[in-house]
Amino acid sequence: MSFAVGVLLLAIVTAMACALPGVFVVLRRSSMLVDAIGHAVLPGIVIGYALTRDLGSPLLILGAALAGLVVVLGAEWLGRTGLLTGDSPQGLIFPALFAAGVIAVTLNFGNVHLDTHAVLVGDLNLAAFEQWIVGGVSFGPTYLYVMLAVLAGNIAFIAIMYRHLTVTTFDPGFASSIGIRTGAVQTAFMFLVSVTVTAAFHASGAILVLALVVVPAATAHLLSRRLPATLLLAVVIAAGGAAAGFGLAYVLDAATSAGMAVFYGLLFAVALAIVKVRERRRHRQRPTVAGPSSQLPHPHGLHPHRG
Amino acid sequence: MSPLEFFADHTYRIVFAGTVVIGLVAGALGSFAYLRKQSLISDVISHAALPGTLIAFLTAVVVLGTDGRSMLGLILGAVVVGTLAVLAANGLTQATKIRIDTAMAISLTVFFGAGMLLLRVISNGDYPGKGGIADYLFGNASVITVADLVTSAVVGGLALLVMGVFWKEFALRTFDPAHTSALGFRASAVDALMFITIVIATVIGVKAVGLVLMVAFVITPPAAARQWTSTLRSMVALSAAIGAVGSGTGAYLSIVLGVPTGPAIVLTLFGIFAVSIAASPRRSVIMRGLARARARAALRRELLAETGATSGGSVASAGAGGSVPGTRSDGVGQS
Repeated sequence: MSFAVGVLLLAIVTAMACALPGVFVVLRRSSMLVDAIGHAVLPGIVIGYALTRDLGSPLLILGAALAGLVVVLGAEWLGRTGLLTGDSPQGLIFPALFAAGVIAVTLNFGNVHLDTHAVLVGDLNLAAFEQWIVGGVSFGPTYLYVMLAVLAGNIAFIAIMYRHLTVTTFDPGFASSIGIRTGAVQTAFMFLVSVTVTAAFHASGAILVLALVVVPAATAHLLSRRLPATLLLAVVIAAGGAAAGFGLAYVLDAATSAGMAVFYGLLFAVALAIVKVRERRRHRQRPTVAGPSSQLPHPHGLHPHRG
Repeated sequence: MSPLEFFADHTYRIVFAGTVVIGLVAGALGSFAYLRKQSLISDVISHAALPGTLIAFLTAVVVLGTDGRSMLGLILGAVVVGTLAVLAANGLTQATKIRIDTAMAISLTVFFGAGMLLLRVISNGDYPGKGGIADYLFGNASVITVADLVTSAVVGGLALLVMGVFWKEFALRTFDPAHTSALGFRASAVDALMFITIVIATVIGVKAVGLVLMVAFVITPPAAARQWTSTLRSMVALSAAIGAVGSGTGAYLSIVLGVPTGPAIVLTLFGIFAVSIAASPRRSVIMRGLARARARAALRRELLAETGATSGGSVASAGAGGSVPGTRSDGVGQS
């Protein structure tokens, strides 16, 4: 497998692995929490690297993901004290963790080979550097198989926990009344997100991993009304956008993740336009069907959003 | 390096003064973002401001033929694009079923991604003065010039002046939005004004401490100050003081230890916050724990006295040994 193809595949698999849990992240209103996790795993990665000396080590990924949980559980705890307002708890924790990580990187703690630029946007080429070669034949980057394993883990988790996830997402009150431990489901799910974010860190960095998790999922959410369709659409958008974003970044000689973020933004804008045009058309058709009621409330007024 | 040597050096003095101004302005104006429960909006502003600063750089270099790193241009570009990003996020939630957290995430990453592409285009191209622009991410306080310091002090001072002049409107809108409109103030105008001051507070540190960690400058000082004070005036003043002291101390530490300025200040501010929430005399985890334990003990005594008075000593001793009054008083203490 040629190097460029390996990098492209890595980008696509990473995007799919991120977009899948992203659908639930968007529906559970946890998008900015993923931003916090993306920043918080940095010190975990630095310490993990000092211990394992292997950026693809499963031990490192699981260990660093715990740092992501620090921000999730820490913010919950701070919020529960009642001493802070609004969304500030997570905003207090993640910059501190990230700052500690950046300082560790600049001091070259444990000889971690990251520069601060790669911390922000990742370095896909570096991640794809190590190839898996059997009998002289390259099977692509080793890291591709790490990401495939994460993707498989996400699919398995969502398939097994599907009912629990959906009911705690759409009606947490009902979920706890039928005996589902919503807190435990939330923690388990956020750990899964944290693992995914950590694994994707090398491909996308601390900030743009948020684009991979949220934007394809949000685009799919705009376009579809049913959860299975949203999941499928999110994965398709993620894969397509990854390939196109890879091309964009390749042409500009820029970080792949930046290209992907911008292309996802374009896809989102297109989806937004489609939805708006559809809405307007429905508006225009309605008076002919329902008589002279051009003052019908906006569809959003008729169907309040869930939750 | 001793503080005496530190302040004897011209560059270090500028670094110190520059970061203190940033901390002061961000701390004071961050209070309003904090009290309106929209702290994370500053994270969106600071990240989305990246392409704004780069467009300002390109405009200055290519179109105007001036120095691309002029502080005023940077702040202007950042304010315009940062504001656009927030309008985009708010617009999305109003026009679609996308909720605010996701809208913020989309706006933040798409703008920031575009900024990173642009950064690459600039660093691959042939532009005079492109050397320092990668510093806009994590900041490099040692490149601040006297002119930069003056510019940020003037812009920050203007933002503080707006806050002072419209203090009543800001306070009213923060604590009782509906009342503001009822009194005849134009709520949207007050919002816009307050918002622009917060944007300025967020982007003023672009050169010295970078965009990536600015969110901590806006959130941390108010959150720490809130634990010590209970009026808006004292909270804003204390938050500004914490921001200034934390930034100055952090800048000093960063130079002594040889680490980037932004992260060093963020950790210093976090230290101040941690002490505040753990041990401030009025609102803190420790003091509240103590108060709760005291209330629990008092209630237990009271219940024991009651049971002792009504039904004799044998029941009282059972009450003292049993866990029922204890668990019940726990609930009372919390409410």
